[in-house]
Amino acid sequence: MAAVQLAKKAVSLPPTCRTLASGVPAASYINFNVREPAGHGHAHGHGAAGPRSDVPARWAGGVSTSSSAGLVSKSFVSVPSTGVLQRRLMHSTLPAKVEPQVPDFSHYEAKSDSTNRGVAYMMIGGMGLLSASVAKSTVTEFLSTMAASADVLAMAKVEIELASIPEGKNAIIKWRGKPVFIRHRTQDEVQEARQTDWKALRDPQRDEERTKKPEWLVMLGVCTHLGCVPIGEAGDFGGWFCPCHGSHYDISGRIRKGPAPSNLEVPVYDFDEANNLLVIG
Amino acid sequence: MGALANAFYNSVVKRNSVYVTSIFAGAFAFGVGFDTAITSFWDSWNKGKQWKDIRDKYVQDADS
Repeated sequence: MAAVQLAKKAVSLPPTCRTLASGVPAASYINFNVREPAGHGHAHGHGAAGPRSDVPARWAGGVSTSSSAGLVSKSFVSVPSTGVLQRRLMHSTLPAKVEPQVPDFSHYEAKSDSTNRGVAYMMIGGMGLLSASVAKSTVTEFLSTMAASADVLAMAKVEIELASIPEGKNAIIKWRGKPVFIRHRTQDEVQEARQTDWKALRDPQRDEERTKKPEWLVMLGVCTHLGCVPIGEAGDFGGWFCPCHGSHYDISGRIRKGPAPSNLEVPVYDFDEANNLLVIG
Repeated sequence: MGALANAFYNSVVKRNSVYVTSIFAGAFAFGVGFDTAITSFWDSWNKGKQWKDIRDKYVQDADS
């Protein structure tokens, strides 16, 4: 009975081994490298004095000195850690919330469906408006690059002094690579041109439509048939005659006979009254 | 706000023909207005530097 009580007696002893946070057991104040005291007083056959035979290999541990803990002996063996100092989760550890939960999106949702719809269509329409403007200006700017510039337009005009053409005479000038007939008509010729029954002609046109001033007839000198240059003061009608295929034009430049389909073309022209000039173009 | 958006939707957007037509009409108006605004801004920014501003100093019209 006394022996049992003795065995159960609890004593307060400092732990000889503790576990580091890394799981490695550390036993302080134990030095496995220490030599057995030589000649400890008896000889019972366990060998000569020297390193202890139960010293573990160096890969299994060792002893070091530490300023705080003194002599530290470590043995690198895999032992289960006796205490959890910190929560350790492996990648396969399940999170606390296993169930997938949809976040709360109500903060991002539109307050009013109708306002949202109106704003969306407004943005779409505004984008379309800007795109249409950009497309329109792109096309017009591109087309304007093909238009003649101001200097070219200025060069494309021709001025003629009207005083240099006496009454009853023709003048032929070159305008944009084509001949232009200018006829200073007499009063008789004007009378003749205006009294013709123009409604019966092939290309019915009044003489008033073809001239700005009755005595000045200005037309392109290109036959409307195949582009020859007619001869002035010739033909059956006192006007122009095309020698290529025999088209006859009258004193107003209208086709009267022959293969040409239409009257001689009238270009854009104007009179400069101050300087008595005719400006073609 | 909601009423305004609904009026906009019902009057303009609901029929695509009306929507597209109004977009093109708006593009035309925007082009004209933008051009006018930029031109007036240009003229005010360059006031006194353009020919039309200083023409009176150099050209005496016959009838003026």
